[in-house]
Amino acid sequence: MGMKIKAEYAEESAQQVVDAAATRWSGTSLLAEVRHHKSGMKLPYVFINCPKNHWRAVAKWLRFEMGADHCSMITGTHWPEGPDEKKWEVVVHLMRMNVINPPERGGWTEQVIRDPAILQDDDVPMEFEISISIPDTRNPSVQSVQEVWMGADWNEKETWDLVGIEFEGHEGMRRVLQPHDTPVGFHPLQKEHKIRYHDSEIMYDDPQGFGRKPADDGKVK
Amino acid sequence: MAEMWISMGPQHPMTHGLWTLKVKVDGETVVDTVPDLGYIHRGVEKICESRDFTKITTYCDRLCYASANTWAHSYIYAAEDLLEVEVPARAEHIRVIAVEMQRIASHLMWLGAFCPDIGNLTAFVWCLREREMMMDLLQELGGSRLHYNFPRIGGVKRDLPIGFAMRARAKLNLFLDRIQETEQMLDESTVFLVRTQGVGYAKPEEMVNHGVTGPNVRAGGVNYDIRWAHPYSVYDELDWDVSVERPSIKGADCYDRYRVRVDEMRQSARLCLDALDKMPGGAETHYTEGDPMILTKARERAEEGKTGFHHFEDSRGESMFYLAGGGDQRGKHPYRISIRSPMFITIPYAAKCMIGHKVADIPAIMGSFDPCIGETDR
Repeated sequence: MGMKIKAEYAEESAQQVVDAAATRWSGTSLLAEVRHHKSGMKLPYVFINCPKNHWRAVAKWLRFEMGADHCSMITGTHWPEGPDEKKWEVVVHLMRMNVINPPERGGWTEQVIRDPAILQDDDVPMEFEISISIPDTRNPSVQSVQEVWMGADWNEKETWDLVGIEFEGHEGMRRVLQPHDTPVGFHPLQKEHKIRYHDSEIMYDDPQGFGRKPADDGKVK
Repeated sequence: MAEMWISMGPQHPMTHGLWTLKVKVDGETVVDTVPDLGYIHRGVEKICESRDFTKITTYCDRLCYASANTWAHSYIYAAEDLLEVEVPARAEHIRVIAVEMQRIASHLMWLGAFCPDIGNLTAFVWCLREREMMMDLLQELGGSRLHYNFPRIGGVKRDLPIGFAMRARAKLNLFLDRIQETEQMLDESTVFLVRTQGVGYAKPEEMVNHGVTGPNVRAGGVNYDIRWAHPYSVYDELDWDVSVERPSIKGADCYDRYRVRVDEMRQSARLCLDALDKMPGGAETHYTEGDPMILTKARERAEEGKTGFHHFEDSRGESMFYLAGGGDQRGKHPYRISIRSPMFITIPYAAKCMIGHKVADIPAIMGSFDPCIGETDR
């Protein structure tokens, strides 16, 4: 028979993380809450609204105390129409996988087999969504967490390459998806760069879109 | 001896696509590696920002030509999370069949591409022969051979064709017999064992810290699988086991990664057969009858600032879509769509794994991680 984690244990576990965050980060503007997926099994996950200057400390806390051992994705959004305090947003998705090296026994290894039905508290796999708002600026930046998760390395490279958000303290930053000779300051996922079909609802009268290419103005970041 | 840099790629049989691995060698030993990606960067994320939620599926199919259905489903689950859509049970069963058949096809494509790299051409021909059966079945479902565009927000494109269950059972049972032949041939081949055993050790904790997931971690002896850890669809009602290997003390080598994928194919076939048995009757394969186009509700449901995401067990690891709704201003388009590609993170790790090995081991190590450049470059 198939297996899955117990929803009520996941709920408890998410609430424990939120409670721990409320204690640990009580003096800051960090906001943690339990949210639920809106389709399927509607399982809970932990949403954290993290102030920009605390991000690396929060990351270390999540990694070493809350057990979020897997950095799934770091991505950025440019919100030119957004409020002044959130013109840029960095969104981080972490997961608690609880993966350990298989223990050694008699010169061979023992498999790590977890039974989802009995996982509780810290052992429940958990999703974390962290949102970091960056106010209106021409040079958005957040602290790098390269040293916390090795997996954050290429995620941060990609986010800088495509969105243009700097990561303070990131070593070896370079273009990974764009060509190496891309002009400095060109980051295609910023909203001032438009592609031909942008915002057009009907595209059949002019399949190539040549008639509708919007003017390339306001390219200043 | 003097050290020097060699470019392997962009045109090299090892790359399984279009990218460059810069290797620093000291004689025959690899000292340092730098992967260089982005040769087929198409800007899928930017394109999707000006497409309707329903039109994005076709782009997701094309992220990986060997595993189109898993990527399309990965997007669909994230879109359903954003748009708050419920899916009927029959559609979920059909999705499981489509995804697991695609996983078999993808792993067979991987095995077929991996074996010629290390000197076994017979497995290539055998694997493609068996993959053809899965292609035929998927073609019956989706209509085309590689890019099916099969899932829909709230359901699937169409119900199972008449007689599909019968043909699928026959072909899956035949596949289960034939994979045994391939396995025997490889397990008894000295060339294969010498090239894979004891090569490219990787430990689970280190892999997870580097962002490597999926079969590669399960080869390290940990039964973590997103299908039970963050359950979706109807995997909890079906009969299957997580495939886990039992690695040596040094970690999982290329042989473990091969074993776990072969076992995963068996489990996928088991899942398909079980889903065919347990599928509920009726013809309800879409959201609701009165609302065939979810687009009409996208404007109010995908408000500005609302997000949806979904972790999905792709055939290469954890894939993920993150969607941000655009609200009234942007209407039916997502404001931002971000794709987590398992291979984008795994390739730098695989490149690190090679350090200390001989140059001749590079194809074996790289191939055993199952690289796919279409999803890497996006």
